[in-house]
Amino acid sequence: MTLAATLDDAKWTFVTRRVERSRVARTDTDFAAARPGDLILAHVDKVGQHRRVQLPTGRPSFIFAGDAVVIACGARYAPDQFEGLAEIDPDGADLLAGGGCIGRMVARSSQVEAATRLMPAARLLDTFGNVLNLADFALAPRPAGPRPPVIGVVGTSMNSGKTLATAQLVLGLRRAGFRVGAIKITGTGAFGDYNEYADSGAHFVADFTDAGMVTTYREPLDRIKAATETLADEAGARGCDIVVMELADGLLQRETAAIIADQWFANLISGLVFACGDAVAAAGGAAILARHGLIPDAVTGMVSCSPMSSAEAAEATGRTVLTKADLADPAEATGFALRAGLGRKEAA
Amino acid sequence: MKNPNNDTAEYITACSAAGRLTARIIRPANPVPAPPVVVLHGISRNAGILAQLFAPEAERTGRTIVVPHFPEKSWPDFQRPSKAARPDQALLALLDAVAAKLPDGAGTVDLFGHSGGAQLTHRFAMLYPHRVAALHLVAAGWYCLPDDTMTYPYGLASGTDRFSTAWARRNAHGLRDFLGLPVCVYVGSKDVIRDPALRTNRTLDARQGPNRHARARTYVMALNAAAERHDLPARAQFVELTDCDHDVVHALTHNHLAFRVLDARSQAPRSQAV
Repeated sequence: MTLAATLDDAKWTFVTRRVERSRVARTDTDFAAARPGDLILAHVDKVGQHRRVQLPTGRPSFIFAGDAVVIACGARYAPDQFEGLAEIDPDGADLLAGGGCIGRMVARSSQVEAATRLMPAARLLDTFGNVLNLADFALAPRPAGPRPPVIGVVGTSMNSGKTLATAQLVLGLRRAGFRVGAIKITGTGAFGDYNEYADSGAHFVADFTDAGMVTTYREPLDRIKAATETLADEAGARGCDIVVMELADGLLQRETAAIIADQWFANLISGLVFACGDAVAAAGGAAILARHGLIPDAVTGMVSCSPMSSAEAAEATGRTVLTKADLADPAEATGFALRAGLGRKEAA
Repeated sequence: MKNPNNDTAEYITACSAAGRLTARIIRPANPVPAPPVVVLHGISRNAGILAQLFAPEAERTGRTIVVPHFPEKSWPDFQRPSKAARPDQALLALLDAVAAKLPDGAGTVDLFGHSGGAQLTHRFAMLYPHRVAALHLVAAGWYCLPDDTMTYPYGLASGTDRFSTAWARRNAHGLRDFLGLPVCVYVGSKDVIRDPALRTNRTLDARQGPNRHARARTYVMALNAAAERHDLPARAQFVELTDCDHDVVHALTHNHLAFRVLDARSQAPRSQAV
């Protein structure tokens, strides 16, 4: 089978959605030289934790031994699944994320199965022999222009309710009449959050993959900051009035911790939502944020499901606790926009 | 869309989580680039009559007029956001639909409301000042004062329950933007009857006044005092409708209220009688 035919038959994963497939001209097998974001052709060796990969069309696809996949070399940090590094062993590698991340698993939650094993077949090169990387297809930084206000969403951990909070706030702002951008600036490329933002009516949706990274784990802080600005500026260029921006994982995760500690973050955001699992987490997280001079406008997340936990969290943090229904309510969401300066532009 | 009255008028229907809302759209032959005027009826739900009486002004001024109708059956409560109903959400959706349909409908709108419609109008503008260009409030029964002198829903002080706390907060979010709006508060010189439709209780009577006329004055003073506290110019004006009671048809036919509302954008704010 020719390279073109193999690539035609392969399952291109979600993180490759911006790749111009026609630029693939050659291949090599120098996997030792693989860098984060490099495009890899691999075959499914043994199905494990991930039984499906995510396609650019936004649907999952079951995978079977022998299937060809096009995927990006990358690291991963997911406490409820795997930690992995952007390293590819020619004798076999791990499917670290169904969105399309191949690497070497170094730690695994006891709650999940072993990673699906992949046999790397080739690195994809262009006609000049350059390795094709997601960064080659990234959005270009926009010339300096007015950037829409950004509402940050952070949380205590995975599954604390950040994505739901982001999506519901997008919905509330949209209902209030704003054009909303939804971006995710850290994490590992996947369509779950991306689709949820889009389903909530965001006018522009993007994540770090659109800025050239399959994952932000172990990426330099400056690169993540530049990517964030690119995505926020792109949202503005696409006509968004306001941007809701989710940071993955918890406040103590390496990249998220570095971002919130950087004055750049405080300067970037015009509002902050903090998603927590419970009241104790809310108290601890609020204290961490306060050390960096960050005071959330609202606490939300799993803690808000219980009126009693909400009352405890409000008492402990001094902040308003909002449910997902509150965030989706235009009367509540408008407050975020008005505090961010999106009030009336002129007297009639 | 289905024409609810089987006439030749143009209607638009918007769907939202709060429910469906239909409005008649009156488009002039020669439109001018000015915000549409949204005309909200009171508890008599006389949208058809309001549309009929405002239509000549649309043609005269070139401004589009939108007249929503909250039917009794689907909107037993429509005067303000409450646990029972969210007319504000329905109105937001309607404005979005108007913006999608009309060339000049994408910006802010002027809001006109009579009685219960004025109740909804001023509360909508407090919540969503970014959607409003100007307010025309005619004889609301009572008001949400823009200060902490009364608990919500009479003012912005938080109550003891989660509901009133949340709504006091939501109304306070945009207070400064709201206070920047030009507001005309109209009331009939004879609108002093404490009829059964008028909400009365000791605190309300004491703080806002015994009748609609007195409460309109109180509200205008409260708006301008709040504006001053925010270092904003006083933009609220009290307009007494001579020899008029609570009848909006009388106000429109004898006091030329529609004429005044449609021309208000070129008039300087001042207290006066018409």
